[in-house]
Amino acid sequence: MEKDEAFMAEVLNRTASRQLTWNTEVLNCATEKLGNHFLNPNWDNSMDQSDPFESALSSMVSSPAASKVPVSGENVMMRELIGKLGNICNSGDASCYSTPLNSPPRFDLSMVNLLNHSTLVPFSADPGFAERATRFSCFSTGGDSGCFNGPLMDSFKLSSMAGNSDSDKKNSGVSRSSSPENAESGVSKEESSVSQQIPSQNDAGTRKRKSIPRGKAKEIPSPAAADAKVASENDESNSKRSKREGAPSGNGNAKASNDGNQKQSKENSKPPEPPKDYIHVRARRGEATDSHSLAERVRREKISERMKFLQDLVPGCNKVTGKAVMLDEIINYVQSLQRQVEFLSMKLATVNPRMDVNMEALLSKDMFQSRGVLQHGIYPMDSSPAFPCGYHPQQGLLPLNNGIPNTTETQFSMKTQGFKLPSIDGFIDAHPQVGSMWEDDIQSIVQMGFGQNQPQSYQGSISTGQVKIEL
Amino acid sequence: MDLHNLNPSSLKSRFTTRFLRALTEINARKPIASSSSPREIFQRYRRIKDAADTSMAYSVRSRRTWSKATLWRLRTPSHRRRLASFGRRSSLNKTRTTTTASHRGAVVVQITSRGGGLGVQLEELRELVPGGEAMDLCNLLDETAHYIKCLTTQVQVMRTIANLYSLE
Repeated sequence: MEKDEAFMAEVLNRTASRQLTWNTEVLNCATEKLGNHFLNPNWDNSMDQSDPFESALSSMVSSPAASKVPVSGENVMMRELIGKLGNICNSGDASCYSTPLNSPPRFDLSMVNLLNHSTLVPFSADPGFAERATRFSCFSTGGDSGCFNGPLMDSFKLSSMAGNSDSDKKNSGVSRSSSPENAESGVSKEESSVSQQIPSQNDAGTRKRKSIPRGKAKEIPSPAAADAKVASENDESNSKRSKREGAPSGNGNAKASNDGNQKQSKENSKPPEPPKDYIHVRARRGEATDSHSLAERVRREKISERMKFLQDLVPGCNKVTGKAVMLDEIINYVQSLQRQVEFLSMKLATVNPRMDVNMEALLSKDMFQSRGVLQHGIYPMDSSPAFPCGYHPQQGLLPLNNGIPNTTETQFSMKTQGFKLPSIDGFIDAHPQVGSMWEDDIQSIVQMGFGQNQPQSYQGSISTGQVKIEL
Repeated sequence: MDLHNLNPSSLKSRFTTRFLRALTEINARKPIASSSSPREIFQRYRRIKDAADTSMAYSVRSRRTWSKATLWRLRTPSHRRRLASFGRRSSLNKTRTTTTASHRGAVVVQITSRGGGLGVQLEELRELVPGGEAMDLCNLLDETAHYIKCLTTQVQVMRTIANLYSLE
């Protein structure tokens, strides 16, 4: 439906705009910070700086993986990179956690272009490192840890990126051989995040990366095909990294946690090519990989997304947390709105419009043709109460115009439309001013008429009163 | 509000034109006399309210479930509506039970426990939003969002019109 698309587009735009601002911020600070560090060829110096990054790293990384890292130049550099990226990710604002992992990889790519280091290549060939990196990447992609995961993933991608596609395949082959399940999960995860970037980036780096999932798609049919489909189908918002709707068992790209390892190997061996209308979901670490629960999770995420949107709509709901309270607020708000409609219609029923003749004429065909003409037509009545009953409209309008040059009360020049307004003829004759002001009038009238500046309308009437006194 | 883009086909302007047309029609049919009985005023009020709801639903053009439901409610006479709603309610209950029954095992526990916490409010929301009886939570929230947006527009326009009228 159109409205659905509009709704989704709104949500998308919001998240995209948030992403965009965050990305530009991060890009700016990242390029400054990291550029300085990495252009420093003296790795010994950077080793001293690695201590804070070490601590950052150790908080992110599991202990066995950390203990395995031998202190060699490239590895330290790699960890430094991870640490810095992680710090930058941390130092981003809170939207970092809700925005996708696109953002860290994005400025990471710029770093790659900056670097052009060949030192990355040899350590990319290190199978042990690859295995460790994949293990890092095995960490959950929950909302908070997603950002932590990003830099690790990026460094892994960096490593594979720095070489050409051949070395990539070799690297992937190596990683696969070392620890098939973990590596596959890492690889497929890389593909998923890579493929997610594909629609949004145009770097030469991404062109290289595009070859990776395509190439690997042949080798690993089911997850890669699924991810390629992900890339092709990636029209959803990138706001949640693994947020796709789950297709049941056949397409389970269940992320391999230790539990799901055997399952994944089973699924890898399944026949590939899920149908294109499925949207793919990745189970998070520690979650059941049952297709039912996947679908459930997707449904829950959809619902929470909609609740957030409703939170924006309903005023005063920012502090409210929890579905039940939120629903209460929504119900109250809808009830109050409906009651307001009833009250207003009751008011309209009792109020006797003084110039209902005008209304009919105003609603004539000519008025409908021009934009906003109704508001325009209604507005003059607003200023009329400023006049005492006996006051001649013509005289009243003249001072009106003179006294309030900046307001839009010159809309009395509605004669351009040539309607028959018996009681407003006086106005029309008095004001030969033509609808050159039409457009401005309409806009400002709409502004006034629709409650934005309703106090201003009273101002107008007050000032007309004053002008009258002056006369 | 953006001053420079008065969209002639925006929801607000569509609703305004329709509603004003209906309003003048109502006023023309039975002009308000100073000695109207409360009953007449009440009838008038009902007509105006229906006109407002109808014009809002028309502006949305049946793209939404709630607008369809509103139009249907205001068009079909009450006796036919009662019959239809019987059929609708029974089929709805059937579908609800079947869907919950299809999920087995632990998932059922999850659903019911979660549903139990929100059940009362969901029912209320369904009652509030027209046409909300036959929808699952996800679509219901969608409809609620759109409905809220339209309601706020309606209130804004009506308030303006009422102010303008009452100022005379």
